[in-house]
Amino acid sequence: MAIPLDPRFRVSKPVHNPHTGNMAAMRARHKIRAPRRSAASAPTEDFDTIWGELSSSLTEIHTKNGSSLSFEELYRNAYRMVLMMRGDDLYERTKSLEENWLRNHVQKQVTDSILPILVRAQNPTSMADVQDQSNERRAAGERFLAVLKDAWSDHLLCMGMITDVLMYMDRIISADRTKPSIFVASMALFRDHVLRAPVRPGSNVTVADVLESTVLFMIQLERAGHIIERPLIRHCIQMLEGLYETIAEEESTKLYLTTFEIAFLNTSRDFYREEGIRLLEVGDAATFCRIASQRIAEEQERCRYTLAAITEPKIAEVLNQELIRENIEEVVRLEGTGVRYMLDQKQLDGLWNVYILNARVDEKKRALTGEVSKRIVELGLEINASSLAQPQAPSAPEKDAGGEKKEKGKEKEKAVNPQTASAIKWVDDILALKRQFDDVWEKSFMSDQNLHKSIEDSFNDFINKNSRSSEYLSLFFDENLKKGIKGKTENEVDALLDNGITLLRYIRDKDLFETYYKKHLARRLLMKRSASMDAERQMISKMKMEVGNQFTQRIEAMFKDMAVSEDLTASYKEHIARHGDLDQKRIDLDVHILTSTMWPLEAMLKARNGEMQMRCIFPREVESIKQSFEKFYLDKHSGRKLSWQAPMGSVDLRATFQRSNGKTSRFELNVSTYMMVILLLFNNIPDGESLTFEEIQERTGIPEYDLIRNLQSLAVAPKTRVLKKEPMSKDVNPTDRFFFNNNFQSPFVKVRIGVVAGGANKVENQDQRKETEKKMSDERGGSIEAAIVRIMKQRKKLGHVGLMNEVLTQLSARFVPDVNMVKKRIESLIDREYLERLEDEPATYGYIA
Amino acid sequence: MADSTQSEFVTLVSCDGFEFIIPRSAACISGTIRRMLDPASKFSESLSGRCVLENLSGVVLEKVCEYFMYNEKHKDQANVPDMEIPAELCLELLMAADYLDT
Repeated sequence: MAIPLDPRFRVSKPVHNPHTGNMAAMRARHKIRAPRRSAASAPTEDFDTIWGELSSSLTEIHTKNGSSLSFEELYRNAYRMVLMMRGDDLYERTKSLEENWLRNHVQKQVTDSILPILVRAQNPTSMADVQDQSNERRAAGERFLAVLKDAWSDHLLCMGMITDVLMYMDRIISADRTKPSIFVASMALFRDHVLRAPVRPGSNVTVADVLESTVLFMIQLERAGHIIERPLIRHCIQMLEGLYETIAEEESTKLYLTTFEIAFLNTSRDFYREEGIRLLEVGDAATFCRIASQRIAEEQERCRYTLAAITEPKIAEVLNQELIRENIEEVVRLEGTGVRYMLDQKQLDGLWNVYILNARVDEKKRALTGEVSKRIVELGLEINASSLAQPQAPSAPEKDAGGEKKEKGKEKEKAVNPQTASAIKWVDDILALKRQFDDVWEKSFMSDQNLHKSIEDSFNDFINKNSRSSEYLSLFFDENLKKGIKGKTENEVDALLDNGITLLRYIRDKDLFETYYKKHLARRLLMKRSASMDAERQMISKMKMEVGNQFTQRIEAMFKDMAVSEDLTASYKEHIARHGDLDQKRIDLDVHILTSTMWPLEAMLKARNGEMQMRCIFPREVESIKQSFEKFYLDKHSGRKLSWQAPMGSVDLRATFQRSNGKTSRFELNVSTYMMVILLLFNNIPDGESLTFEEIQERTGIPEYDLIRNLQSLAVAPKTRVLKKEPMSKDVNPTDRFFFNNNFQSPFVKVRIGVVAGGANKVENQDQRKETEKKMSDERGGSIEAAIVRIMKQRKKLGHVGLMNEVLTQLSARFVPDVNMVKKRIESLIDREYLERLEDEPATYGYIA
Repeated sequence: MADSTQSEFVTLVSCDGFEFIIPRSAACISGTIRRMLDPASKFSESLSGRCVLENLSGVVLEKVCEYFMYNEKHKDQANVPDMEIPAELCLELLMAADYLDT
């Protein structure tokens, strides 16, 4: 006998004699013969005999005696029966065998394990009843589940074996007919005869009902904090997952999905609805969020370990709906513990929980966002209100306060009046608020984009609700650049300015800010108040980055003017030296030539009472210098016009006081130009003589308002009383007389005499404010017209709405234009024939070149 | 070999007493044999690792085993040369294949 060459298998010697002995293949090597009918088996055996053998073996399998059986024998029997063309009979008989087995043995076992308590619990009479019996019911339930689980796993195992044995039949029968495989059929049998069997004969409660209620009961126990037999439930659930409504076994017809899951979701829904209400009654947002998060995790775990993973998204949805979506708004708004409280108390964890919960049900987190915005606006308005309220109170004694401040802290340069202080406080408060919310946003809201936007919007809102925000912010910069910088490192300065810039971002009316900033900057530059030019430049470059080139153009021009002026002054000095001007009492002149369009001159000069400032009559010495410089300058730049702005300047004077004891003492006085003019008047009058207010006004030509203020500084302010006034009073009246005060005393040689309430940058009063607004709106009108013409020139033809939109977008970087204003400007452009209304197309404008 | 439920080799016995010892993995190419040996179903074959195939003669079983080995060897290959099948065995082999669910 030829043995295959592969060394891995060999043929051992025959163990016993072949019982047929006809080695057919050996004998007839070279022709194809019809195979013998069913090889060796006795053909005489009929179907019933074989079935008898097979069925007793199958029962053996059910009684767990499978190991004594030979698979081959069973398989061969089944095989033979199918070959006898009795496959259908075999199938049917197996089925009925299974049915009998299930009905007579398994069903009985299972129903026996159902104690009456489980059935009774089916329709619980009262809650208390259930509570009482919960332990008992639980034990009974566990027993029942265990029995059911065993029955199921036995059934699975046996059917696995039987299916294997009947494999050949399955292949033949299910292949050409529409019958389900024997395994599927037996599963259906299990469903019908075990699960759907009535618990007691005649009862309409089925085993499945009891199973469902028991499992739900267990889950309820677990929700209440008890520990339950998870694997047991898991097994029963797996059973439900393995059974289908129909023999087609579609995924969606799993018993689990069609019965249990629905019931589970329903009870969960009820449970969480109640829990939501209960938690709201407790009224603590933090607790609510903590428990909700806990529940979510619990349900997740339950799906993973007790039920089926497929339920996870569904139960999550139930939670989202019942526990969160229904309640989140109220939770967020809960008095005393809600988001507002958390924000105030900086409870970052709590906020984080709220955020997570809200994010589950709403991508935009509207509830949370709304509350956060509301709180921000609230806090912001508080800041606004306090900054407005504060100056109202002390505004009456402001003048005095200014005077007293001067008295106390003149040298400290700390003459911050309450309004300015409150402006700065406003900015500081807002920055603090912003920092607080940024912190919350980062730590609790996972830097969520939506929230970021709403926070920004809220800030935007309330900052712009304060009509003075631009002014305040500018004052903030002014204050910091004037003195705040000192003693700070570069980084600190940087951070400070950055903070300011952040606020600038929120301000809608950037043009207004620019006006104020320019005004304040001008003062800083001209009065040499700026602490550090570097910081100023840094500030400008930051603004440029934030708001754009156009915005800083004029501010930069101001700096340029300063630089040019310095050169000019130097060259003028050189010029004087060269020409050997011989005036012994030569006066050093320091000029700032300012380009009038770039500098906010009107703002600084304040056309008071409608009249533009009068010419100031300079003393002879000064006048000659002025003329000499004018000549010098106009020689250099012909065609320019110089106009002198006396109120802006300052003068160092050397003053000599004749003491009554004959001694003289000298002081260096730093005064404003006007004061210098006034003081020089006293050079020309004898000691002891006086000048009346009117005389002074006549001889100097200083506007009344400025004169009063300057005289106040000179004659009223206690520390700087260079002049004496008669009668002595706080106010300056037109009839007052002024004397030179030879008894002037000061601890310092250099004395700086500020002008009352005029020197420092501070919050505008109502009139000034109106002024600025009026100017602002004029300027805006110009910008709007320019924008309209620009757009129309490009488009030639544009609808009204389109034009409006374009204008608004173009200008939004600088300010938010008033729609009515834009309309008016369009009208006026039409009147002036820049635009026309198109006849044929209504509401459309055309550009007239 | 009687004790080896999980042993690497299994014994296939033909109706006329020839025994073939081949790797379990090769034998399990046949659906019938795989189920027969499945440790989860507690039939005597799976316990003993010895399958008596009353339907197959030694000659056929030999060819079947050869096929098992052949299949095992070329498991993951494409373009495998055809196995040589003696013409007179064709029908018996077909029946064996049907029976063994190969």
